[in-house]
Order: sequence, then structure tokens, then C-alpha cells
Amino acid sequence: MASNLARRLENIFQLKTAVIATIVLLLVWFAGAFALDKRTVFLPGETSVGHVLVEASCNSCHENFKPVTNDTCRRCHEAEMAADTHGEKKFRDPRWAELLTKLDILRCTACHEEHVHMFGRGVHLKPDLCMNCHQGIIEGEMQSHNGFAPDGCWTAGCHNFHDHRSISTGFLMDNIELPPMLPQQILPERVVNLKLEQPPDPDLAREFLGG
Amino acid sequence: MKKAIVFLLVIVAFFFLSGAPGLADNISPARLDEINKLWRGSAHALADVNCSSCHLDGETKALVKQPTQESCRSCHEVAVETFLLGKHGIRIAEGLSPLQPKMAHLPMKKSAGNKQMTCNSCHEVHGVNTFTAAVDSCLSCHNDQHSLNYAESKHGQLFAQEGILKRPSAKSVTCAACHLPRMEFEEIVHVNHNNTYNLLPRDRMVKDVCMNCHGLEYSFRSIFDDELVEANFAKAPTMELQTLEMIRILQGKK
Repeated sequence: MASNLARRLENIFQLKTAVIATIVLLLVWFAGAFALDKRTVFLPGETSVGHVLVEASCNSCHENFKPVTNDTCRRCHEAEMAADTHGEKKFRDPRWAELLTKLDILRCTACHEEHVHMFGRGVHLKPDLCMNCHQGIIEGEMQSHNGFAPDGCWTAGCHNFHDHRSISTGFLMDNIELPPMLPQQILPERVVNLKLEQPPDPDLAREFLGG
Repeated sequence: MKKAIVFLLVIVAFFFLSGAPGLADNISPARLDEINKLWRGSAHALADVNCSSCHLDGETKALVKQPTQESCRSCHEVAVETFLLGKHGIRIAEGLSPLQPKMAHLPMKKSAGNKQMTCNSCHEVHGVNTFTAAVDSCLSCHNDQHSLNYAESKHGQLFAQEGILKRPSAKSVTCAACHLPRMEFEEIVHVNHNNTYNLLPRDRMVKDVCMNCHGLEYSFRSIFDDELVEANFAKAPTMELQTLEMIRILQGKK
């Protein structure tokens, strides 16, 4: 009886030691990762192609433990979103507003989750994501698109979700007749403003020589 | 034992944290002459941008031996802002060490692995030669087939025919012409240094770059053909695109 109790106590004691040791080990590991700036150990999964270069900078996207917001993404991606065809303006229109219940696309992370498997262009949803709203297009609503693959809209290079200025039907119609070589082949001209005819004398010297 | 581990960690951390790069040593008079010569021949000199413009702190007047992009930004705001948003500059923008070719997922020249991607990596700071920055600087790191095929390509040959220039002309089809394109920002033409911006979707490059010289159909059929991209557009496009066929049918209906 007594030996039984002792053994039980011994077991508990061993378990306690093991738990404490594990916690201490984890704490040392985390502290070490922080101290050595090896924050990549905290990454929960593979980072997308573009973000992989800054994956060690957690606070680029994460403010403490708050969820990532659109503002976080806009810090870097404003140019890409300058002419967003699926932007807020579109969904202020009551005709389209209800579609947001199918997929909350005004939230960047609805399609662009990070640290998970990507299907290209930082999109984690399966490539047929357009079918959430546009299924009718391939099922008879639009004769020219009838029977098209549900995952081909953007993967085949025909449509862009955000910026379609360079691939819209109107743009293609307006420009399809242009010849292979345009009459004038010229890049935008840069203006370089020079103030002097002759270079002036350098205004520092000794400073660089340790004088 | 545990104390020993923590102690060891603190020591290692201290070693790493204190390893910040120090200032460059003083330079020799000969090197200074060399630098002055480069600078005298530069656009900076003729724009009255003197040593002190970059090497003296605007407020404290203290000597800055190694100016950073912040110094460049005081005149070249769009260039620096856009640079910091592309893959080349994003690590600096996010407070990390500059990008190094050895971190890249694309093929890079082994010998360039430890270079650091700052303004100076492509623009020799004293000569500020944009002719070198437009092709040679890129090829000092990039080692993929598309890059290696540039020199033999029609684009590369056209640029070679122009000879050595002070700066790329409006006719020069350099690496930068497509990947760091000249674009209007508030009605002034600047070089967009965000090298990632026009890579995807590919039609973005068509509209902003290719269509300065080529028609839409030719451009689309070229840029969506992976083999032709790898060959650096060595020949006329042969790929058929259903999108374009559909546009023609649509036009027929009008």
C-alpha cells in the first residue's frame, strides 16, 4: 500500500519534471529565436513567392496578434490596386452588394491568405473561385463562353480580377488591328535638368582622407 | 545547465546584434582623385549636386561616409519609393538586411551571391551612369536564360548598335526599358523602380511597355509564350490566343 503510493508520487513527480523541462526548453527556443533574429521558426507554413523575402519580418503584416487588415496589404500594394474592378466602389451599388455574401472579396485575405498552399499569384482559393458569382457565364448566359472550364478565367490569361485595364474587351477591340511594329517606336522621353555648363569644384575632400 | 544555456544564448545574441556594419575607413588620395573624376563626368556634377549634397547630413552637417537610399530620396523620390516596393528593395523597406542574390529563387551568378541590393548596387554612385545600370548591372547578378539571351536578341542588338551613351535613349530597349519602365507619375516621366510591378499579370507589361513599339496582337502573342520569353523574343510570335480569336468574332458582329 505504502509502496504503491510512493510509486504514484514518483510518477507524478516525473511527469511534473518532464512538463517543466518541456516548457523551459520551448521558452529558451523562442527566446533564442527572437534574440538571434531567427523569427522564421515561428512561420506556420510556406510563404508565398513575393512575400518570402520579408517572411522574417512578422510585423510587416502582423500587428501584435491582431488579424491582418486591408490597410496592411495597401502599405505595399497600392499601385496594383489603383484601378480595382472588384473594389469597394463596385459593391456600393445595390445590384452587386449582395454578391459579397457569397465571397467577402472586399477583404484581401478572403482570397489571399498567407502561409498556406497557393494556386498562383498569391491566391489560396482554388482557381475556379470566379464561379462563386460568375457560374452562369459558362452555363449558357454568354454564348461565346458556354462550356468553358470553370478554372480557366484567370489561369488562361484572359481576365484579371483587380486590374483589367490592359486586357479588357474594350482595350483589346480598340487595339487589335495595330501592326506588329508601330509606325513610331519610342519610349517615354525623360527630361534631365542640368544647371551648369561645366562641373564645379568638389566641395569636400579632406573629410574623406581623415583630415 | 539551464543557466549555462541562457548565458550562452545571451552571449551569441550580443555577438550578432553588435555585428552592425561599421563606417568605411578613410580613403586614399588616389581613390579620391578617381572618385572626383567620375563625379565630374556625371549628370550630378552638372546639376550642381556636389559632395556635400550626399555626404553631409542636412541638419547636423555631420559627415556621412556611406549615404543610403534616404540621401537619394531627397531628389529621386519616385525612384526610391518604387524601388522599396519591388523585390529588390522590399527587405530594406521592412527593416531587414538588403536583398542578396543568394536569397533569390531565380538563377543568379554564384560569384554575385553576397552582393547587397541597394541604390549603389546598380548605379555606380559617383559616375551615376544609367547606361551601365540599364543592362550590365542586371547581368552582374541575373543568370537565367531570358537574361542570358538578351545580348543576342533583337532588342539587345538594337541597344548595342547605339554604342556607348551617357544615358539610355528613348530608343534603347534595355533590361530596364521593360522591367524598370519609364512611366508618368503626376505627368512627369520617372523610372518605375518597382521591378515586380509589371511582371504579373503579363498583360500589364504589354500595355505599359511593349505597346510603345509593338502592336497589341504581336505583344500578347509574344509575352504569353513561355518559350519565346525564355528566348528573349528571338523570333516573331507563333502562338495563337483564343482571346484574340474571340475578339475578332466579336468585331465581326458589330
